[in-house]
Amino acid sequence: MLIEFIFIALSLITLISALGMISFHQPINSVLSFIVTLLSIAGLFALLSSSFIFIVQVIIYAGAIMSLILFVIMFLNIKEKNIPNEPKKALWISGSLIAISPFTLLLVNALKTLPQKEATIINGFGSIEAIGRELFSKWVLPFEMISILLLIALLGAIVLAKKEQNR
Amino acid sequence: MINSILLALIVLIPFLGSLIIGFFYAFYQDRIKEGAYSFIGIGSVLTSAVLSIMVALEFFQNENLTSMSYVAFEWLHISSFVINVGFFADHLSVVMISFVTVIGTLIHIYAAGYMNKDEGYGKFFAYFNLFMGSMLLLVLGDNPIMLFIGWEGVGLCSYLLISYYHKDTLNVKAGNKAFILNRIGDFGFLIGMLLLFIYGGAGGFTFGALETNVSTVPSAMLTAIALLLFVGAMGKSAQIPLYVWLPDAMAGPTPVSALIHAATMVTAGVYMVARFAFVYNLTPDVGLFIAYIGAFSALFAALIASHQSDIKKILAYSTMSQLGYMFIAAGLGLYSGAIFHVFTHAFFKALLFMGAGVLIVAVHHKQDIFDIRMHRALLPITFVTMLIATLAISGVPPFAGFFSKDAIMAHAFASGHYGIWLISTITALLTAYYMFRLFFTVFFGAREKELHKINSSMQLPLIILAIGAALTGLLNLPHFLGGENQFSNWISTPDKALHLSISAEWVLTTLNVILSGIGIFFAWKHFGRNPQPSNAQSSINNLLLNKFYVDEVYDTIFVKNIRRLSYFFSTIIDVRVISEIIKQSSSGYFRLGVITGRMQNGNVRFYALYMVAGIIGMSIYLLEFL
Amino acid sequence: MIFVTDYMILAVLLFSIGIVGVVSRRNIIVLYMSIELMLNAINLIFVALSRQFEQLDTQIAALMVIAIAAAEAAIFLAVIVLLFRNRRSLDANVFTLLGQREQPKNDK
Repeated sequence: MLIEFIFIALSLITLISALGMISFHQPINSVLSFIVTLLSIAGLFALLSSSFIFIVQVIIYAGAIMSLILFVIMFLNIKEKNIPNEPKKALWISGSLIAISPFTLLLVNALKTLPQKEATIINGFGSIEAIGRELFSKWVLPFEMISILLLIALLGAIVLAKKEQNR
Repeated sequence: MINSILLALIVLIPFLGSLIIGFFYAFYQDRIKEGAYSFIGIGSVLTSAVLSIMVALEFFQNENLTSMSYVAFEWLHISSFVINVGFFADHLSVVMISFVTVIGTLIHIYAAGYMNKDEGYGKFFAYFNLFMGSMLLLVLGDNPIMLFIGWEGVGLCSYLLISYYHKDTLNVKAGNKAFILNRIGDFGFLIGMLLLFIYGGAGGFTFGALETNVSTVPSAMLTAIALLLFVGAMGKSAQIPLYVWLPDAMAGPTPVSALIHAATMVTAGVYMVARFAFVYNLTPDVGLFIAYIGAFSALFAALIASHQSDIKKILAYSTMSQLGYMFIAAGLGLYSGAIFHVFTHAFFKALLFMGAGVLIVAVHHKQDIFDIRMHRALLPITFVTMLIATLAISGVPPFAGFFSKDAIMAHAFASGHYGIWLISTITALLTAYYMFRLFFTVFFGAREKELHKINSSMQLPLIILAIGAALTGLLNLPHFLGGENQFSNWISTPDKALHLSISAEWVLTTLNVILSGIGIFFAWKHFGRNPQPSNAQSSINNLLLNKFYVDEVYDTIFVKNIRRLSYFFSTIIDVRVISEIIKQSSSGYFRLGVITGRMQNGNVRFYALYMVAGIIGMSIYLLEFL
Repeated sequence: MIFVTDYMILAVLLFSIGIVGVVSRRNIIVLYMSIELMLNAINLIFVALSRQFEQLDTQIAALMVIAIAAAEAAIFLAVIVLLFRNRRSLDANVFTLLGQREQPKNDK
């Protein structure tokens, strides 16, 4: 009973904040709305008994990545004239929402073919220990490659954002 | 017993001669001595003549031999349709090739002298030999397609030779005219041949096979075929309405006129009718039509010739007139009479043309009879030979023309078509009149005249031909005069046998002689002492002087309209319609490219929009809403 | 009674919202975040699938996706900084250097 209530609340929050994210004019507002979305998705992860992913989402996604975005926005010193004014924004959004509905319907129909399973909480299903075991036995190679990928991204970001050297 | 391969050789040797001369002319042109060219040219035709005489003698000696054939190789084989390159000789062909090659040799010798110092001497002999080869192929072909190849070949050579002096565009136009009118006739001929093949060619397409199968063709179709084949003859043999090229064809050198437009090519039409006698015997209506065309052409040409002043044009119209006689005979079923007249006509007409050539050269290339006027003592050989020829053509006994024309007119009378007989009789009167008008005007003038020297090679053939013109009549003496019709019997064409009582024949013959005499008398009266050219005094004179305005009528009806049509096509349709279509389609592609290029505007969101649109479309499809 | 498939349906809805965001907005920051939203929706599906079939493979895939999203964020933001420095605008329609140049009219 409690689980259903939490699920409905979290999903409503997610949807509303997602819609808000794409609707706001100021970028700061969009970012903050997005953070709310991320946190509620983390909650959904937790409801699915995946505790590790829940923690990772909160720390890394909502924490690190969003902080980075906020930092960059404030760093850029955006004035009103830099932001594009979009006159028919509402029309576009609502029109696209209606237009994308067949696609959504298609996917929903595909998903309905899966066997129905109740989403109860399982203890120890997605815990750190279980994930760790999987990660370092079966998925160790992708794990190492990811770290290299992050290194490359780091270097790339530095190179890209360097100020032009004056000759 | 000679090998029938000679038939192939008779046709092949002139072609080879033409090839050799042409090859050398293409590389060396006028740098080789003229004698070399004429040697090969005369030599090849002479060889063919000798071989033809040999074949003819073979037929003479061996009474049982009715035909000889030789198949060189198979040319077309399309399921059951087989055409061989084959040669076929029966008595009819043998007679034709004999006189064609003999007269051809004489004219070649004449031309060697006449064309002396002319530009393109070698080219002339190459064309001349090519013509001889084509004519022989026409006569000796064993199926209508071989005949047609020769038919086209002589038409081509006629064009080439008429336009020989090509620097003057008038000559080229005359050549074009000849070829185009020939072509119109050939179109009819081709359709006729095709119909004959479709309806009667089931058992093979050689003349022999067609003869046996001709009864299988439905009679309406047979009439059409006969008519269409005759359309070809109308073009080739210059009958009404496709005759207008013949007077213009006199623009060519005189040997060309002598050989092609007097003795050989124009008679190809008559030969064709005789060859297809098995068709024409079954369609007497078409035959009657042919006879009427021949009669009207004869009269028409004679009327025009009486007022012409150019010597070659007079002779051209006289050829057309005599051809009309031949078609009267062929149309009414007397094929042997037609061929006999072809035979005699070849002699005296070639002679007349060659004599005219001598005269033209003698007075430094003037062609008006009133300018050529001279005294007979200045050119005695020419005078005597042309006298014999003129007497022959006027139907004066005992020269050849009398017998051949008389046979035709008697047959016309006996057939019951008195209209044709009357026309032919009037024409005979006119023939005597205008021929002697020419003769008296040319040879009864002043004694003092400066003349160009005449090569002896030009005079010798005249003599030989004159002997022929004089004597060949005796080959076909009709019964009532004590002869046995040897020529007609020997040539054994499927004639329609008609009988006249001996008294009727005597009456007719005497009538003809009297009429010829009257014609000569009137000619003497008007032109013996003081000949004057016709002038346009009365309206009838005007009509005749302008050749009944036929050329002008053709020009207005056909030529101008076709010109207008082609002008319309070339300026309007080609430029505005077709080019526009092509331009629009090519620029349309370009514009399409520009429009689709606008889709690449660099705006990433635009591309994302496309992708999403595609996804939506696909999902709609997969959801089976469509 | 919440079924695992309900989580997936929610994820699909979030994905569509993400697509709508990419297509409709011109602000490149919002564009970026719509892409991140799509990634998150996919993550949700992955985790739901792992719960559905009781195996951890797809959860680890979700982990990889988060790591990659982090790397991507770094690069993306560096590019945004560069673009802003260059043109002083956050409008996606301004950056069309890779597009078709206007061709001269060809009237042959």
